[in-house]
Amino acid sequence: MQAVAAASAAAAGPALAGCRAAPASSGNPGGGNKKSSGGGAGKVVYWDWYVSQSPWVKNEVNLFQAANPKIQVNRTVNATGAYDKLFNLAQRSHNAPDVFMITTTTVPLNDQVQKGWLLPVNQYADSAWVHQFPEYTFAEGSNVFNGKIYTAPISSTSAWVQLYINTKVFKDAGLTNGDGSVKIPKTWDDITHAAEQITKKSNGSVYGLGFGNSSFDILPWWVEIMVRGAGSPGGNGGQDLRTGKYTFGSDRNYKDVLDLIMEWKSKGYFYPSSLSISDEIARAYFERGKFGMTVGGVWNQPEWTDHKFTDYTLTSLIGPQEKPKSYFYSQPGGTLFAINANAKDPEAAFKWFSWLYSPEAGKRWVQKFNEDLSIFPADDDPSKISFKPFGEYVALRDLVLPGPQPWIKNPHTSQVVVNPVTPNFGNITTGIYSGQIKDTGKALTDLDGKMQQALETGIKQAQGKGLKVSLSDYAFSDWDPTKAYKWPIPKYPSL
Amino acid sequence: MSTQATERTSRLHRPTPTRRRRRSRWQNVKENRWSYFYIAPFVILVAVFTIYPIIASLGYTLYQWNGIGSPTAYVGLENFRKVLHDHIFWRSFGHTFLYTAVLVPVQLFLALVLALVLNNKRMRFSTFYRSVYFIPAVISPAIIAVVFQLLFSNFGQNIDSKLMSMHLMHKPVDWLGDPHVVLWVIIGIGIWNTLGYNLVYFLAGLQTIPEDLYEAATIDGAGVRQQFWHVTIPGLREIGMIILFLAILGSLQVFDLVQVLTGGGPFYASSVVNTYIYQEAFGGGFSAAGGGGGASVQPNVGFASAASFFYGLILLVITGGQALAMAYMRKRRREMNAAAIEEARL
Repeated sequence: MQAVAAASAAAAGPALAGCRAAPASSGNPGGGNKKSSGGGAGKVVYWDWYVSQSPWVKNEVNLFQAANPKIQVNRTVNATGAYDKLFNLAQRSHNAPDVFMITTTTVPLNDQVQKGWLLPVNQYADSAWVHQFPEYTFAEGSNVFNGKIYTAPISSTSAWVQLYINTKVFKDAGLTNGDGSVKIPKTWDDITHAAEQITKKSNGSVYGLGFGNSSFDILPWWVEIMVRGAGSPGGNGGQDLRTGKYTFGSDRNYKDVLDLIMEWKSKGYFYPSSLSISDEIARAYFERGKFGMTVGGVWNQPEWTDHKFTDYTLTSLIGPQEKPKSYFYSQPGGTLFAINANAKDPEAAFKWFSWLYSPEAGKRWVQKFNEDLSIFPADDDPSKISFKPFGEYVALRDLVLPGPQPWIKNPHTSQVVVNPVTPNFGNITTGIYSGQIKDTGKALTDLDGKMQQALETGIKQAQGKGLKVSLSDYAFSDWDPTKAYKWPIPKYPSL
Repeated sequence: MSTQATERTSRLHRPTPTRRRRRSRWQNVKENRWSYFYIAPFVILVAVFTIYPIIASLGYTLYQWNGIGSPTAYVGLENFRKVLHDHIFWRSFGHTFLYTAVLVPVQLFLALVLALVLNNKRMRFSTFYRSVYFIPAVISPAIIAVVFQLLFSNFGQNIDSKLMSMHLMHKPVDWLGDPHVVLWVIIGIGIWNTLGYNLVYFLAGLQTIPEDLYEAATIDGAGVRQQFWHVTIPGLREIGMIILFLAILGSLQVFDLVQVLTGGGPFYASSVVNTYIYQEAFGGGFSAAGGGGGASVQPNVGFASAASFFYGLILLVITGGQALAMAYMRKRRREMNAAAIEEARL
């Protein structure tokens, strides 16, 4: 399972999918260049939103420029929340960067391709460049459109959110095993017990749980790790691909988890200002031991390491029982960096693009900077990972299975534009937590209705454009969420 | 030359009224060209940043459009229908009016009281105090919001501990995350933020009231309270109306303070019309603190334009009310002056 999972490309992890990423291709960094004349000199304007991953990016820029002294990479790191807006404004004003992280919040990737924003890399990438990636890294409808490659993932899928546990807080609360190690919560009840013990033993000076919800809705991350373990394969996206239906309201796991969160809140287990502090502040407070547990991703780790805070452990997929009833799911394809179709020096841009995707950069990504898994399984060698919490994160690869995707069944579904629903699930979780939504069940059922309606409208509009898509493309009735799904697509695209 | 011929000739040479008007208007412009030159930058800026967006947004109201490329999905008046049925819009609308309804009277009352105190010529360091009260008004609301956000969110627990130790509260409050509290916190900050403007306006108004009136009132045996009601208040009536309407319009357009402080969160608990329009137009969600709920709302420029246009109409009605009230007051003042002159003559 581990091998399959590692080979599968990442693309999951909604909100901060961009917070993870990973390196590049080309066995020979900067190489793999089909049309390269060995030139490529000039300036490459490069945008990303990597803040906690900045050390890796800076290092790669330095190494790249040392290897390619004629090319200057001008990097702009943007705020995650503003990136989509800035990128789209840059496109409108014809000032888009040469190489950039893809954002699809406003304009879906296939739309961006249709608008001619992205440069297909086929003209620069050769077969060796493509085949250095694991099988299923490229897939029509994900990062390949009409046989042209536009982007690739740099990370393989892991359990993208984890429950972080402050070891000192746990030890102070007496939450230890016989051997002195901390008792890692494995079930919902374990979390409840740990939160209660921490809050009570500290007389209210330390809280069991905490999060920072102000910059974006982070509560869905809590739901994600808890409902998946309980057997809801749609996670915080809510769509169960066994039926193709949204199940926030009909699957009682969602309500149970939200009720449990509200119970924790009412008992005072949560840090009181969790709604109004940002995720960054919440991470700092976790580090200082203001609360014992928080939910976050591997992108938390570099910052904590910088602050010399390493006394924590992590876990994921926590259900009512220890054995998860569904998992995280990987899919073929994946996206991260792309090249502007109007890049001033496309050859130089491809060199930088290719450098980011090189196995060497991937190795540094995983082994030196401990940012995330690499798309190259060999880079994820646990024996070469010395930092324990990051090693624990890498081990969570076992919680990832290949899963079904509508666009694999019918690539035309990638052109179905489903308009967002307001309020969305994230808004609703905040509404419930803040006490503004009293009837959780009704709110979730209403959301199902709206999301189903939005999907059906999107399908109808796509059908109106002549695309052969239907609701049945979203249903995989033979799928067993506890087993790896076999993807019926070619392992590599033909160039 | 016959009389008829003379008449014909003179008719030929007589400029038509329209032509004469046109020429005189042009001459007028020519004579005052420097005035027009000086106001040109303002007119251009207003045309580009106010009039054009209003006209352009009218067109966008008819489309489902995310702001990228040209709008193509024509939806007619659907966006207006959605605005009218959008409970979040109306909730934001309610918050905006609550903000205005509380902020304006409280702020104007405080500003008037402070102005009366600071207008006392015997008061030492009054200039210093005026500066102190005016400082928040010259600081960008965004900066103020950032500072208060840090204060309430990141150090809110310290405030809570202090208040709890003083037995003013029995449990911690999430100042920017509690839907029952957040809007009141914003209103409080809003009052403090722009109090200085109204203080200065009232001070200016107080200084236009002739000293003779107070002296005459004193000679007539009026006390401080009577002087306030019968000299100060009538003297401030006209400028007071201006201050009132400026305060109302300013409050109804509140945006930056809320956007930076809470982004309208948590779950729209502090959302005002302008933050809601902004989030609909540009996507993104609740930004800074406030438990935003980080609504990852997708850009919907068409809907936002419809909401903006609709709200603009409401503000227009209020502005019209202001103009009518001012006109009525001027008329009434003229009548009173005329009556006073007539009375003096008799």
